[in-house]
Amino acid sequence: MVTLARKTLLALGLPAALFALWWFASAGSTSFYFPPLSAITAEFAETWTPERWRDDVLPSVARLAAGYTASAAAGIALGVLIGRTRWLFHLTEPVLEFARAVPPPVLVPVIMLFAGIGDGMKTAVIVSGCVWPILLNTVAGVRSVEPVQLDTAAAFRLGRNRTLLAVVLPGASPRIVTGMRQALAIGVILMVVSEMFAAQSGLGFAIVQFQRSYAIPAMWSGILLLGCLGAALAALFTVFDRAVLHWHHRQRAEEV
Amino acid sequence: MLEVAGIGKDYRVDGGVFTAVDSLSFHVAEGELVCVVGPSGCGKTTLLRMCAGLLAPTRGTARVDGRDVDGPPEGTAVVFQEYGRSLFPWMRVGANVELPLKRLGLTRAERRDRVAEALRLVDLEGKEQVWPWQLSGGMQQRVAIARAVAFRPRLLLMDEPFAAVDAQTRADLEDLIRDLWSRLGITVVFITHDIDESVYLGQRVLVLSSPPTTLRAEIHIDLGPDRDQLDTRSAPAFAKLRAAVWREIQAAKRGAA
Repeated sequence: MVTLARKTLLALGLPAALFALWWFASAGSTSFYFPPLSAITAEFAETWTPERWRDDVLPSVARLAAGYTASAAAGIALGVLIGRTRWLFHLTEPVLEFARAVPPPVLVPVIMLFAGIGDGMKTAVIVSGCVWPILLNTVAGVRSVEPVQLDTAAAFRLGRNRTLLAVVLPGASPRIVTGMRQALAIGVILMVVSEMFAAQSGLGFAIVQFQRSYAIPAMWSGILLLGCLGAALAALFTVFDRAVLHWHHRQRAEEV
Repeated sequence: MLEVAGIGKDYRVDGGVFTAVDSLSFHVAEGELVCVVGPSGCGKTTLLRMCAGLLAPTRGTARVDGRDVDGPPEGTAVVFQEYGRSLFPWMRVGANVELPLKRLGLTRAERRDRVAEALRLVDLEGKEQVWPWQLSGGMQQRVAIARAVAFRPRLLLMDEPFAAVDAQTRADLEDLIRDLWSRLGITVVFITHDIDESVYLGQRVLVLSSPPTTLRAEIHIDLGPDRDQLDTRSAPAFAKLRAAVWREIQAAKRGAA
């Protein structure tokens, strides 16, 4: 109980301190571009009305969810295939490293060319960035599964599907989750970036609009909202991580 | 039961060829407990992996129940030396033991009974819900043995299963294997580098040469079915057999014919 209170205090302490610092440092600000935090929070409630949530926030989150889920499905499936097939691994390794090194935002204009400017394009942009860390980590995870565990599965003739589901995927899961965590951060960035090009809705779109119409406190409130969304998604991911890898965390905590 | 005929394995190393196992032939009868010893690096594990269908031989064949081994044979279980890495840390002990049973067409209740029985046989009764990493090394290896026992194999292959546990645990596990073997009537091939262990456990000890490995000697262990860590090991007959195996291995190390 005491440790939980301590942990909560530690986790919330720095954000609270930074918020307070921002609040007091900007209190007397007369700068047009850096309004006082009090003005931003006042604007927050007015800007983010239920209509805005429906028209901008939800579509953004929905596209992120779609792109992220598609990336996870494709990344894990392809990663298992490549990680389990030696020749395919050697064939694809250099290409994968190249694809991972291309910064996804530069692909936005390219993707617009064939995916248009609708939801499909924005989801495609998210996938184009999210899929690589998941794919590469899955490949590495699958390749690093204990040979003795694979020998055990083979000796007991578990069969391809059971070996995959009961041995390979769980064995690779710590790496897969690491990749998914990296992909989540990239996904949030790409969600915003994709909405800065030719969009009619979305968080990124709203923020750019505020900026262009010199609604600076509203713009800042959007940035604040994005930050909160990111933090909420990270917290959600931690719940997922604890559920999927509970054995992994416990083993590391308990093993001496 | 297990018939090994002229089996051999070459490895490609730095452009050359290293003959790990030259040519080995032997036969293990149904219900026998045979130990395989040899100097370190003599290809014992290679031999076991070929018998288990985990490694394709370069020449010769292994046959289990009259069928050529070209993949893991049906009804065979393997216990590896690295117990900590052969158990699945994402499954509790019960699930680890149960996993191989899942393809045998048993009902859930039958599987549960087999798991409980196997754990009882290795003296881990009621440990189904424990995580493998919460157990000591010796207990983890007993889980691996329980997994093999629950599977009810006809042939049990063991690759230096006790090499990484302490001496006291090791003695207990040796008695456990003797006990399971005599109770279950399975055929056991037990690989070890420990001469005393091979004599204590086996009905027969196969001594391998250094690479390129061949069968150097075959020693019958006429110590009777009831063996005891204290009495058997201090018996003159044990010392004589132990010396015989030891001499063969020393000669094997020197490469003498």
